[in-house]
Amino acid sequence: MSGLRDWALLVLGVAVLAALPMVADNYTLRLGTVFCMYAALALSWNVIGGFAGYPSFATAAFFGLGAYTCAILQSAGWPMLPALAAGGALAGLFAAAVGGAILHLRGHYFAIASLALAEVLRELATKLEWLTGGGMGLNLPVPAMELHAQAAFFLHLMLGVAALAGAATLLLRGSRLGFALRCIQQNEDAAGMLGVDTRRAKTLAFAISAIFPGLAGGAYASWTHYIEPPDVFDVLLSVKPLVMVLLGGLGTVFGPVVGAGLLLLFEEAVWRSFLTLHAAVLGVIIVVLVLFLPNGLMDATRRLLGRRGRGAA
Amino acid sequence: MTTLPAFGRRSALGFAAAGLLAPLGAARGQQPTIRVGAPLPLTGPLAPEGIKQRNGYDFWAAAANARGGVDVAGTKHRVEIVYADYASNTPRAVQTAERLITQDRVNFLFSPFGSGAAKAASSVNERYGIPTIAATASSEQVYDQGYKFLFGTFTPNSTLTEPLAEIVTGANPQVRRVAVLARNDLFPLAIGQEMVASARKRNLQVVFDEKYAIGTMDHASAITQMRAQRPDWVFATGYTNDLILIRKQMADLGLRAPVVTMIAGPAYREFISATGRQAENITSAAWWHPAVRYQGQDLFGTTESFNQAWEQRFNAEPDYAEASAAAAGAILQMAVEAARTIEPAKVRDALAAMDATTFYGRVKFGPTGQITSLEPPVFQIQGGQPRVIFPQGIKQADLRFGVG
Amino acid sequence: MLYLQVAANGLVLGGLYACIAVGFSLVWGVLNVINILHGSFIVLGSYLALFAYQVLGLHPFLAILPVAAALYAVGHATQGLLVNRVIAAPVLMTLTLTFGLDLMLNNTMIVAFTADYRRLNLETPLGVLFLGDVVLPGDRVAAMALALLLTGGLWLLLRGTRLGRAVVAVRMDRDAAALMGVNVPRINAVTFGLGAAMAGAAGVLLALIFPVSPLNSGLFLGKAFTVCVLGGLGSVPGALVGGIALGLIESFGALWLGPEWAITISFMVLIAVLALRPDGLLGRRGYA
Repeated sequence: MSGLRDWALLVLGVAVLAALPMVADNYTLRLGTVFCMYAALALSWNVIGGFAGYPSFATAAFFGLGAYTCAILQSAGWPMLPALAAGGALAGLFAAAVGGAILHLRGHYFAIASLALAEVLRELATKLEWLTGGGMGLNLPVPAMELHAQAAFFLHLMLGVAALAGAATLLLRGSRLGFALRCIQQNEDAAGMLGVDTRRAKTLAFAISAIFPGLAGGAYASWTHYIEPPDVFDVLLSVKPLVMVLLGGLGTVFGPVVGAGLLLLFEEAVWRSFLTLHAAVLGVIIVVLVLFLPNGLMDATRRLLGRRGRGAA
Repeated sequence: MTTLPAFGRRSALGFAAAGLLAPLGAARGQQPTIRVGAPLPLTGPLAPEGIKQRNGYDFWAAAANARGGVDVAGTKHRVEIVYADYASNTPRAVQTAERLITQDRVNFLFSPFGSGAAKAASSVNERYGIPTIAATASSEQVYDQGYKFLFGTFTPNSTLTEPLAEIVTGANPQVRRVAVLARNDLFPLAIGQEMVASARKRNLQVVFDEKYAIGTMDHASAITQMRAQRPDWVFATGYTNDLILIRKQMADLGLRAPVVTMIAGPAYREFISATGRQAENITSAAWWHPAVRYQGQDLFGTTESFNQAWEQRFNAEPDYAEASAAAAGAILQMAVEAARTIEPAKVRDALAAMDATTFYGRVKFGPTGQITSLEPPVFQIQGGQPRVIFPQGIKQADLRFGVG
Repeated sequence: MLYLQVAANGLVLGGLYACIAVGFSLVWGVLNVINILHGSFIVLGSYLALFAYQVLGLHPFLAILPVAAALYAVGHATQGLLVNRVIAAPVLMTLTLTFGLDLMLNNTMIVAFTADYRRLNLETPLGVLFLGDVVLPGDRVAAMALALLLTGGLWLLLRGTRLGRAVVAVRMDRDAAALMGVNVPRINAVTFGLGAAMAGAAGVLLALIFPVSPLNSGLFLGKAFTVCVLGGLGSVPGALVGGIALGLIESFGALWLGPEWAITISFMVLIAVLALRPDGLLGRRGYA
């Protein structure tokens, strides 16, 4: 029943956002697109970070990989949607492949290994000039569309990615895999002893958490028409989903979506009011959240790690 | 979780966010205003550059308003610059440009910093038909997109390396072996490639041609390898921090050469004060230099009077980035006054038709929108001061050899 | 000859990296806190050294102790007033907290000091040393020597004093240490203070070598991460070994594959070490 209600909510939310172009101007559509992108990233991070309890900083790696795959294929003449799908698929395969090497790490060690993935990919993208244009960046074809139609199109594209991520989360929650991930998050060793194939479950979760950032990256590249390595492999792309999920509630289905909306609202409000001190103000907000609103956040995080993660595997 | 109310609240927040963004207090007195949007990197890695741009724009706005404003067919308009920080993040720059146009309703735009961000944002102002001036974008690829509303105050990168190569080889035919070390980043990389092209064109031998990654904290290996090649001319590109470090490590590791050129640090006083004696005899080139002399038809008048007014306000000589930003404002003002309206399409046509002399140099934009009329000066740090050594007309000193 | 020089470059660079990482490693190892503030602490130390030299004429080598003391106070207060409140929470919380604090400190420094790059130019530079054909920059050698001294001092402090043994006890088992009568929150604050003091001292040395700007904090933090993982978390010799390993990897990587590959290689080695030897090259855990 609650499952049915959540599906209804998802459909309702998607319908509302899809109707936005009928009433809103282009800048609001741009904000809506960013919101969908944030929601997709947060929902994806939640699969590995929230359900499985593995603090991943690899979102930027998947996002950038998807963005570059989609951009390169489009430059080679592919239509947008197949290029986009290829970006998502490649990000998922990449996650599955490296997951085997780093998912046996726990706590800070996993966090650092996942962080380094984005760094390596960014450096490679800068280096492989013949493929990526290197430091010069890469240009994508601008769709021949009227302004408002273009804004609406990319909103709908990003909304589609977010909706897929939401649907995947809902499906995952009731599935055997979702159960296995929660066992892993509670106590991985015990889960293993109870016969959960932890390795397979973690790798699958990591791959799922990579597909949607890969798709979002491709949509983003098509939307801005220009990408360069420091932008699509930006470490903030890895940090923000985590903050959003902490804001909204870990391991829940719609918590990350709420967190995405809140973060976007903070960013816009702070950015407008403080010309050069906005980073500091954002810092104050984060510190206040952690110190003085610990309940929502702390309970959630305790569920994330369960144990006092002592670092080493 | 209480899903339904939470979801409702989210949408409400979305609309609240949109409401928050409505222009705040546009009316201010009776005088009409011209609003110019300026997305700048005021924080993040490019912050030093962003602040220079802001100084330049502020300087123009203050000068224009001190004269009562910009004259639009007899009505004086106050200049208001709407700044927005994009934290050195290119997508944010694009987003900010759109926000300035649609929410803050600016009449005109100054591009974000550098070729990459200017190019990325140019699709936005083109779509809205907002005349935009890029004060710091030199790459030809920024302008060859067929856009009509983008104008730039920097000539292509080759206009820096060509005169350099000309004057160095002309003064000393012994200079044969060139080593190029470039930061792997849009502008520094492009200028490094232009240098290699300029060197090959003159049959110089390029004995070292490497790039270093953004965020490199140590150049010892590259410098050790360069030293092994015994270059006559060391050519390094990067931002001020990179070049300060490279110059120091060259001294540490004993890399000496008759000619050492660095772009784009030495034009900035921070570079000279940070490197001290080691700055001596380093050559460089830039699109403008305080030593150039023009009789401007713009509000600043001659280059001397511009320099003087600048020094009065900032207590320091203007550098090319600051001058280019101020010039962008002055050029916009001349176009508006010539068009006798602030209607975007007409101002755009006035910019395209412009052929005038300013304190910054002669201003005439080519068919792509990039300026074609500048003659970038070559200069050398001598006695702790940048001295112009080319072109002949404004030369202050002869090229000296030997950097050790 | 080329190889000797590149090896020497790598060694002195490694000394700097060790210097950057020691305090970070201590805090991570003892408190299990990833201190994102570390890079900004180093930059703050550099600015203090810069102002002390420009305004008071205090030589950077003499400024090390006062600057370290000042940073100790900042670190002690940060842990005592803020981080201790969530120290029992999972790692993500303390990481997020120090991330927020770093945004505040770094942004404040950008506004207060501007982001312009400055340098501390000594009236009488330290010059260069010649060992045969190999050139060694004096300031880097001095920094390396001081890094060794400071690390040795920290090691002695942890091994030889009551306070140090309490820190080690907390690192081994926080609950048992509390039962034995150790004031754990105080020891936490002392440890964080020590980490900040090491960052400040490193900042003073780095001001002689790198341009000073708040924008460098991210670079320093990244190096600290890598060194810690390479050397093994929370061990004094580990930070030295990790630093020198990283210095050599970057130097020879730049020689063989070109300067643009130096950073990529160091990250690849980082991932490989994590995947194959998560306890670091030394394969040992535990401070001292």
